[in-house]
Order: sequence, then structure tokens, then C-alpha cells
Amino acid sequence: MMKIRALKIEVNTTSGLFGAEYNFSNGLNIIRGDNSTGKSSLFQSIIYGLGFEELLGGKNEKTMQSALKDQVEFPRNTLHTITQSFIYLEIENNEIITIKRSVASSTRKSQLIDVFEGPLLTGDNQALESRQMWVHDSGSASDELYGFHLFLTEFLGYNLPEVVTAKGDLHKIYLQQIAPAFIVEQKTGWSDFFATMPYFGMRNTEQRVVEFLLKLDVFENEKRKQQINSAKQVINLKWQNLYNKFQNLAERCGGKILGLESSPSIINSYGGIYISLIKDDKPITIEDLNRILKEELSILDSKQIATVGSNLNQNESLLNKLNDKLNQVSLNYELLSPELNFDKEKLKQYKKQLVGVQDDLRKNKGALKVSKLGGDLPTEIAKNICPTCEQELKDSLLPSDIMQIPMRIEDNISYLDSQEKMISVYIDGQQNIINEKEKQLKDYQSIALELRQQIRDIKRELIQDERLPSIVEIEKRIDLKRKVEFFNKVIEGFYPLIDDLKNLSAAYSLILNRESNLPKDFFSTLDRQKLSTLKDNFIQLLRIFNYQSKPFDAIRISQDTYLPVAQKTDAEQFYNIKFDSSASDFIRCIWAYTTALLQTSITYNANHPGILVFDEPKQQDMSKESFRSFLIELSKFSTQQVLLFASFENSDASFAEATQGLTFSINKIDELLIRPIDND
Amino acid sequence: MEEQDLKITKLSFIQRPIPIPADYRPMYKIALIVLILRICCRAETSSLLKLHLFSWALTSDDNLTKLREYVTSNFQSDFSVWGIEPALNRALQFSIAENICEVANGKNYKLTEKGNRFYEMIDADNELFSKEKTFLKFIGKSKITDKRLTAMSNQWTINYDEN
Repeated sequence: MMKIRALKIEVNTTSGLFGAEYNFSNGLNIIRGDNSTGKSSLFQSIIYGLGFEELLGGKNEKTMQSALKDQVEFPRNTLHTITQSFIYLEIENNEIITIKRSVASSTRKSQLIDVFEGPLLTGDNQALESRQMWVHDSGSASDELYGFHLFLTEFLGYNLPEVVTAKGDLHKIYLQQIAPAFIVEQKTGWSDFFATMPYFGMRNTEQRVVEFLLKLDVFENEKRKQQINSAKQVINLKWQNLYNKFQNLAERCGGKILGLESSPSIINSYGGIYISLIKDDKPITIEDLNRILKEELSILDSKQIATVGSNLNQNESLLNKLNDKLNQVSLNYELLSPELNFDKEKLKQYKKQLVGVQDDLRKNKGALKVSKLGGDLPTEIAKNICPTCEQELKDSLLPSDIMQIPMRIEDNISYLDSQEKMISVYIDGQQNIINEKEKQLKDYQSIALELRQQIRDIKRELIQDERLPSIVEIEKRIDLKRKVEFFNKVIEGFYPLIDDLKNLSAAYSLILNRESNLPKDFFSTLDRQKLSTLKDNFIQLLRIFNYQSKPFDAIRISQDTYLPVAQKTDAEQFYNIKFDSSASDFIRCIWAYTTALLQTSITYNANHPGILVFDEPKQQDMSKESFRSFLIELSKFSTQQVLLFASFENSDASFAEATQGLTFSINKIDELLIRPIDND
Repeated sequence: MEEQDLKITKLSFIQRPIPIPADYRPMYKIALIVLILRICCRAETSSLLKLHLFSWALTSDDNLTKLREYVTSNFQSDFSVWGIEPALNRALQFSIAENICEVANGKNYKLTEKGNRFYEMIDADNELFSKEKTFLKFIGKSKITDKRLTAMSNQWTINYDEN
């Protein structure tokens, strides 16, 4: 639980040292100061010390009031020019540290923060170890060594959740984004829930903050979903690999793999996956083919090898047949080959066209962006008006006597977009055609090679002694044997791959199961309890604060945004409670919601830092009774810390009336916050 | 089909807007002028010919490579002529009318204060015209001087005379 123990402001001026020092305790701390005494400066100094000044709407010293960076006024109407100023903030969370940060300094950047390991303000030891860190630098939330907010996150024992950014990647939520849930600033803080939350291009940060503060399991579910997704990607990759292996194997023996998809699926029967080959123009599985070849081989083996003479007639007619076949194949090859070159040339053209379109698209998008930039751009032209003669321009630099109307630039962009898509499709198709033809050419080549070999063998045999054994037949046997051995090897390699596939398919089905087991309704039972407690606390507080605008049974906590919503009279829908509440009742809502978040977090031992800071919560002519009831509720937090900055209408009487009988600590700013300090 | 169906009595044509290359968009060319003047020209002032050279180089990848090679080969590679496009002249007229640039010494173009602000705006967006910016920054202010430009264009006369 975070506590702010003490704050010290140190201001060097041309007229000497000025400053202020305040200590804070557990429970309710009221910081009372009349208007324009410097109450806001004190509040802002705390925010600034924590590096949360984005809540004030900016970064670094710009957000601070002039009393801390330009001129000190003391006594009233006497100004002293500031030469240097520092803020010291002592905070506690199990350990105590002291933060030192400059507001005005000629030598130190305001992004620089010194962290002292101990109580520099309330302790006696002034010689504490210190480390320098940076805030609001790109490294401040992530750099291990020097990021102050990373340090503060660890100091608070937080493991901040990751959220999806507008770009779609994950980023940890920033500490400054959580702060508006427990620090309500005076100027904009009372205009809406989490009104001062800085925007870092992340989605639904408000919800993530509430989920984090209440430690909702929704987070876990969200995380599990992401884990499953990444496991799925791994399987996808492995599947791709395996698929390629199958394909390589099939290609090695000139066939293709059938019954297997290139993306993961659950496979029930593995019999349907096989390598398909072609025999006599008909498809056949590798195993059937191998069996046929084996039979042929065994028949041949059992026969005696014929002599050359006995095969003479047969060989002559075979030679003719083979020659015919070879001619046909060669012709096919020669026809296909120029076709392929033509296709390749076409592909080159398409690619060139694509580059051209992409470049034009890029330029067009640039031009559109420029005309939307606003500010100092050539405004008349952006509006399509000629800056000289005020005639309408057609958004083109073509000569005006060309009677063509150019497309509007937006249309032109979508036109180019579709062109790009179309050309991409052409390119893909063309690439497929080329691959197909290349494979065909290769097939022709290997067939031709085989035919030529056979022809050579027959010719050799025809001129040999008729009594010798037939080479063709011997050659045929050797060839058959080789083929059978080769197919055997392929089949041997095939089964281990099937085993891999079985494992992968099982893993895939497991992941799908896990995915379907994810709760459709992302809330766990505990989540529901927490949200219902939040709602009860919220409504209970509204009742105490005398909220009037809506009946309490029409108020809910939204399951999507976790913000209070109210039901319209005579309608089903729920709306943001702001729309139906009077101005002062909406202030009551912010009181109640901020307080209820802390109460709920305490009940479930969740992540709320256990501190509330309110700057001038008595807004909008709030009734004294309501304000007193708010103070009563806040004074009930005895082990947490509440800092409440208020003016009590600059009146002792109304202060006494509001706080009578309550337990609290008081810090009163007398006349002016920053006053002279005796220099020792 | 029945013969009747083919009796066309009237044909009408509707003129549709046509797509034009981004090089003909005023905003693109004006932005280009601003980028060239600011990144590649001393005192943000340039001659017309120089503007045409860079504008031409950025119309296509081929042109771009050619000019880049010419510079990296220390002006030795073959480079003779570049295009002069009326579109750029029109864009310049617009720029002057919008007070983005002004005519200096009666012949050169100089970026105005508004033009400079316009540049800052374009420069602030890293993705915007990144290719153009990269190329122009590669050229910089000192690689192609007016003297070089005159030498380059003198080459034209020689080539022309020879032919």
C-alpha cells in the first residue's frame, strides 16, 4: 500500500531561500487552505514528484504553477525571481524512499529524478544512497536501470498488465494511466470518470485499469487466449514443415501427395493420405505400383533370359514404337519451352506494373495526407480552389483545356488499391502457371531420357551376336530392381512422417479443445462477486451522499466498461450515469466510484495502491451535508491514506461544521504556501 | 435473341472521371517543391532547372537510380537529359499564389516563411513521403551545385550540336 509521508518544496530566489514542508499520516489528511494560498501548488507538487504530471495535462515543468518556476510571491504583492527549485517527496510501501525532482534549474533537466533509499525528510540520516533515474523518456517505463516509473512499479510490487495498442501489438499499461483511478484533479478531474487519463494509443485502458485494480480474472482469461493463439501458431509452423517434407518425398519419386492439407486439421483416418503416381496415364498409389513392379520382377526372375535371336522381331517393332514416342515427347517439349519463356516475360511485366502502381499509390496517399494536415498548408488548393482566380480546380496539374475530369484523390486511391490487388492476383496465377509448366518440361525431359536409353539398348542388341543373352531383358530386370528398391525406400520414409503427423494432429485437437474450454463469458465466479460488491459499495455510498437523480435500482456497473450506468425511464437501455445525473449528483458519483474502488479492493485484497487524493472535491455548490457525509466515509479508512485538499469556503465555521467529531490529521496552509526559510 | 431486341435507337456516353498519376496532383507536387527547396538548396533558393531535375528523378524508380548512380560515380556515369514537365511549372505557380515560395532575383524560387512551416509539418510525419525525403537527403545541399547543373545542361548543347 502506497503512502505519502512527507513533501518538501525548496525554492531559491534572488532574495534567498523559500520553501514549504508538510508531513502526512495514515487515514484522512485534510489539507486546508483558503483560495489562492497555494493549495493547488501543493497538490501538483505531489503529482509532479511521482512523475504523474500528465494528469495535469502535460509533461515536465510546464505543468507547474509559476510560484514554483518563475516567481514567488511573499508577502502578497512582493515578487521574488526563482533561480532554482526542487521538490522532495517521501513515500512508503514496505520500504521508504525519497524522490527529488527539479522544477526550475539551469543545470538539471526536469526529467531527471534522484531516488534516495530512505526517509530523507523525516529521518535523521541525511547521507542516504541515491540513484538517478529518468521519467517521461522513452526508456522511463521500460529501461531496467534508469526508468523511474519502472522502478516505481517494482516499488509498488505491481506486475502491470499488457494491453493491446491501437497498432495491434501488446504494451504494458502505464502507471500514469492507473493514477486517475485514485487521484482526482481539480480542473478536469471532476468532469468524468478517469477524465485525466493520458492517452498512449492503447485501447480500452479504463477497463484494463479497473480489471487490474480489482485483480479480475478476466485478465487471466485474456492472457490464456493469447497463449493458445501463440501455441496455435507454433503448430501451424510445424504443420507447414511437415507438409513440405511430405511434398519433397512425393516429388522425389515424381508423384504428388494426396489427402493432406497444407494447414492444420484434425485427421481421423490416415489411410487417405498417400503418394499418388501415374502408370499408363492412370493414377495409382505408390504401394500398388510397387506391388505390380515386384510381381513383374519375380516373373522375369523365374524365366530364363532369352537370347538376342529369339527377340529379334519383337525388338524391331518395339524400336519403332519407342522412336514414335520419343518424337512425340520431343515435340511436346519444343512446343512448351517457348511458351514458358513467354509466360516468364509476362510475369516480369506484371511485376513491373505492380511496382509502378504501388509507387503511385504511395504518392497519392501522401498527397491526401498533406491536404488533411491542416495548419499552414496551401489551404486554397486543399479546398480545390485556385489561389489566384478563385475558380474551381480539378485537383490536377493537367492543362485546364484538357476536357477530362480526374478522379477525386480518394477515389483514385481506392482505384489504385483495387488495381494493386488485381495485379497481385495476376502475378500469383502467372507464377502458378510457370511452376506447372516447368514441372511438365522436367517430366518430358526425364521421359525422353528414359526412352533414349531404351532405344540405345535395343539398337545395341540388334547388332549383336544372335546367340548372346538379350541385354534389353537384363537391363529391364536391373531397372525394375532399382525402381522397387527406390520405392521401398520412399515408403520407409513415409511412415515416420505419418507418425509425426499423428502427433501434430493430436496436439492440434488438444489446442482446439482448450480453446473451446475458454469461458465464453469471460468473468469468473469471483469476478462476478467483485463486480457485485463494487456495485453494492457504489450504491451504498450514493445513498449516504444523498444522490437524488435516479432510483437506486436503475443503477448498475457496466460489464463492459466497469463504469456506473443508469437505466432510462421507460427504456431498456443503460446509459452512462453522467447523462441522467445533475451536475452535483455526478460529483457524488465520482466520489462514490473512486471510494468504492478502494473499498472493493480492500475486501478482496486486490491491487489498489490504498491511497486516495482529492483536489477540492466540494464542487458544483455541493450541499454541506453531503460533503460532511463524504468526509465521514473517508475518515473510516484508518490504515489507508486519503489526502483531501479543500478550502472549506475560506471559513473556520464551515470547516468546523464539516469535520466535527471526525478522526483526521490537518495541515493548514496559513496565508501562503511558499515562505522564507532561515538559511543555516 | 429476338431481332427486336437488337434495334438500338439511342446510344449515350457518360464521361467518367479518369485516374491520373499522383505526379499530376497539385498537393503532391507542391509538397515536393517544398521538400526540394528545403533539403537540397542553399538558402532555400533554387533555379527552375534544378527543381525540374529532382522532380523528374522522383517520377520513377528508373530515373531515381540513374541520378543516384550519376552522383555516386562522381558524375562519371552516363547522364545527359532530364525531363521538363509543365505540371511542375503549374505547381510552382500555385505555390507562389499560395505564398509557399516566391521568385527571387527574377529567376530563382525561394521558400517563404509559410513554406518553411509547411515543411516542418511534412517533416514531422516520418512515414509521409519517406522515399522522397530519403533520396533528397542523400543528395543534400552540396552534391549538385549550380555550377554542376550548368555543366550538365551544357552537355545538352554539345550533344545537340553533334547530332
